[in-house]
Amino acid sequence: MPDRDRRFSMLPMDRQVRPSGRLWNPAADVYRTSEGWIVKLDLAGVCLDELEIEVVDSNLRVRGCRRDTFYQEGYTYHQMEITYSRFEKSIQFPCSIHGASLARDYHDGLLVIKLRCE
Amino acid sequence: MTDIENIEETTPPAVSSEPQEPALPELLAEVEPKVPKESEPFEVAVLPLQNTTLFPETVVPLAVGRQRSVAAVEAALSTPEKLLGCVTVRADSINTGDANAADLYQVGTLVMVKRMERVEESMHIIAQGTERIRILGWKHEDPYLRAVVRILPEVAVIDAEEVEAAKRNVQSMIQQALALLPGVPPEVRGIMMGPVEPVRLAYFLGSILNLGVEQEQKMLEANTADELLRLAHTYLARELEIIQLRSKIASEAQTEMDKAQRDYVLRQQLKAIQKELGEDESGEQAEADLLRERLEKADLPDEVRTEAERELKRLGRLPSSAPDYHVIRTYLEYVLELPWKKSSEDKLDLDEARRILDEDHYGLEDVKERILEFLAVIKLRPDTKSPILCFVGPPGVGKTSLGRSIARSLGRTFERMSLGGVRDEAELRGHRRTYIGAMPGRIIQGIRRASVNNPVMMLDEIDKLGADYRGDPASALLEILDPQQNNSFRDHYLDLPFDLSRVFFIATANQLGPIPLPLRDRMEVIRLAGYSDQEKLQIAIRYLLPRQTTENGLAPAQLTITPAALELIATRYTREAGVRQLERTIGSLARKVALQIAQGKAEAVTVDDKDVRDYLGAPKFYPEQARKELPAGVATGMAWTELGGEVLFIEATLLPGGRGLTITGQLGEVMQESAKAAQSYLWSHAAEFGISPAMFKDYGVHLHVPAGAIPKDGPSAGVTITAALASLYTGRRVRPDTSMTGEITLSGLVFPVGGIKEKVLSAYRAGIRRIILPSRNEGDAEQIPEEVRKELELVFVSRISEAIDAALEVLVANPPPPLNPLDLARERSTRQPEGEPVVVRPA
Repeated sequence: MPDRDRRFSMLPMDRQVRPSGRLWNPAADVYRTSEGWIVKLDLAGVCLDELEIEVVDSNLRVRGCRRDTFYQEGYTYHQMEITYSRFEKSIQFPCSIHGASLARDYHDGLLVIKLRCE
Repeated sequence: MTDIENIEETTPPAVSSEPQEPALPELLAEVEPKVPKESEPFEVAVLPLQNTTLFPETVVPLAVGRQRSVAAVEAALSTPEKLLGCVTVRADSINTGDANAADLYQVGTLVMVKRMERVEESMHIIAQGTERIRILGWKHEDPYLRAVVRILPEVAVIDAEEVEAAKRNVQSMIQQALALLPGVPPEVRGIMMGPVEPVRLAYFLGSILNLGVEQEQKMLEANTADELLRLAHTYLARELEIIQLRSKIASEAQTEMDKAQRDYVLRQQLKAIQKELGEDESGEQAEADLLRERLEKADLPDEVRTEAERELKRLGRLPSSAPDYHVIRTYLEYVLELPWKKSSEDKLDLDEARRILDEDHYGLEDVKERILEFLAVIKLRPDTKSPILCFVGPPGVGKTSLGRSIARSLGRTFERMSLGGVRDEAELRGHRRTYIGAMPGRIIQGIRRASVNNPVMMLDEIDKLGADYRGDPASALLEILDPQQNNSFRDHYLDLPFDLSRVFFIATANQLGPIPLPLRDRMEVIRLAGYSDQEKLQIAIRYLLPRQTTENGLAPAQLTITPAALELIATRYTREAGVRQLERTIGSLARKVALQIAQGKAEAVTVDDKDVRDYLGAPKFYPEQARKELPAGVATGMAWTELGGEVLFIEATLLPGGRGLTITGQLGEVMQESAKAAQSYLWSHAAEFGISPAMFKDYGVHLHVPAGAIPKDGPSAGVTITAALASLYTGRRVRPDTSMTGEITLSGLVFPVGGIKEKVLSAYRAGIRRIILPSRNEGDAEQIPEEVRKELELVFVSRISEAIDAALEVLVANPPPPLNPLDLARERSTRQPEGEPVVVRPA
């Protein structure tokens, strides 16, 4: 019992367990323009075919999956810092963006989504 | 590269016991190549977790060290999505070796490996839990565990309100817990107390509470949010209780510690102050060391050493500011200073001892004899016990100086303590150490001063011990003066047995009477009677005059006092049994001579008996002189006083027409009774002495003993009273040159009495040369100095009739007054004619 007590107070710092979502979140910049919004996501190495972009009210949600296609037989990982697998990014806007026209552009590893509000 | 390819390439022979084995290829074929969807089986590398459970929706750093685990992580990293199954090892099958497939639970968590870095042989990874998975079957166990799994559906919320309520409860409990846990980082607080999803909160709690794998697994396997939160609530409540209890204990301990800490700080400050004052603790330490050193060197009995070491140990543990510190230190010093085994060597030269005794004191033969006897015994048997003597005698006879002289002749240390007025038993035996200011008793203090265990210890004025509610010191002396007991005398303060049996105790007293009988019984009583004038003269010539001459700054040749002058001073200027007053008087004479010499009026002075009056004025005392002639009814007796002996006269007179016996002169009961006995004896033997019985009827008698202001008592005047009454009734006078003493009985016997020497000497001084004594006192007569005795006629009697014969003159000098005419007529026939001297002889 005493051992467990001790660990209770120490664990959050020791093991640094943190709550998270189920999927990872890519970093995103959001610009406001005269026409609407520009959202830029750091999504290098993502297969565009699997990208899902969804708008619900004032919420823009981007889902997808990053797969490591570089890996080959005979390679061994020495260090890994890039997060793979499925991701999800949800961006809350201060106003409804329902009905806005979406335009996406992908280059240099950045996904740029332009929202034009009417 | 797809998962299918990967699986196909690396699939080893399936685990034989796997029941789903035949279905596996089919299942695998259905697997979505890109994203594993819920409920669809797929293969994944499995990392077994010992002692912990990884929940979905948490990010956890993990250290991976085992070869199989590293292989599992590497296999996961070789897939495009870096997915890994984390399954906990069952609580009941934890062992030190690698976990096998059978040791794992069926439900685990699918994680994505977000980061990996190698640290020497092991890996550090950061894993994020995504979904719960159920293991359907195992592909292989080596080189790493690989299973076919299916993703479990997300936990369902059955009753949203209930879940929300449970979440709030949980959050309030967390708040209480956090209040008691100051170490929890703020961001964790923020996450837990913020608007977090109930399920995520529950999983987070599950990973930090350290509930043990069984309960953690239960939470992981919960399929509904309701159940999950109920579990979280239950577990958290239990943890909270423990935390509260711990915190309570801790805070109590803290209070205790705060006080101890405060004391410590104050003590440190005190030390600093003491250091500034130059009284730093090194002194304290040095003191203990010094005591230890002395203890090691000291020659102590075992019991004493044990006790002293115990106390020293206690001393070492105490700061010098503790009140007990000084008590213990004083005690230890006392113990170390006492002469437990140290004794002085006795001088065993008998001749030398005799010489010293003679040098200091004139006479006192029997005391000197006793000392020499003791020396002789000690010479023959060195371990003999010292005697316990008691000198009884009037003041100034040299009891105390005799003790000093004994010590000198034995070569022992002399310690003297006066017990006069001591009323508290603790004065002798000390106070117990628990009292503030406790000290050892006088006996032990005396021993310490003497610093040997065989001094001559003089207990002065033992008859003047008091006694009150604080105790009876005389009773304490019983132990000290008992040779059977005093070899282990326990002082209350020391509380250790000290051997007093080698101490030569000498008690002194003026009177034996006030000394309790048991105490008297323990001592060998030696009486020092008063000095005779002859002895005084010798003492004056040998000791007093030389001493006073020197003390007053005169050379021996400058002052001569002739023996005749000294005798005059002794008899006419002093009245005492001892020689103190005599010495003072000689001193005052010497001072007057010193004045003359200093003034240059004389070179040397010789004082003759004729000059004494010029120096000292008129004589102060006229000793009670024997009366030249005694009327009938008066007899000379002798009394014993503390100052020596005195002559007294007993006067009786007839009271015509009176009745009975009137007694005056402050006589005590014993003396009054002996007067009555004397009268009764004479009455009953009237015929024998030729007394008319009618005399007793017709005349009262008044008996008086001057001086009337001085109380007198004792039976020794019996003979004298009888003589006085016999003289009164018969009309025959008592011989004026005769004095007498002795106790009488009604049957006519004469019993012995005490103080013979003093009485005889006083009578001698008064000019009486014939003394009637009880025959049983014949032995005491030897104490009378030879030069006195040869001038005396001592008559020893054993019956009253003999005494009366010896005392009364034969002639009827003062015939008694006539009786009543009636009686006269009756008597005429038997009585001799009036006025005619008649010799009456006893029948």
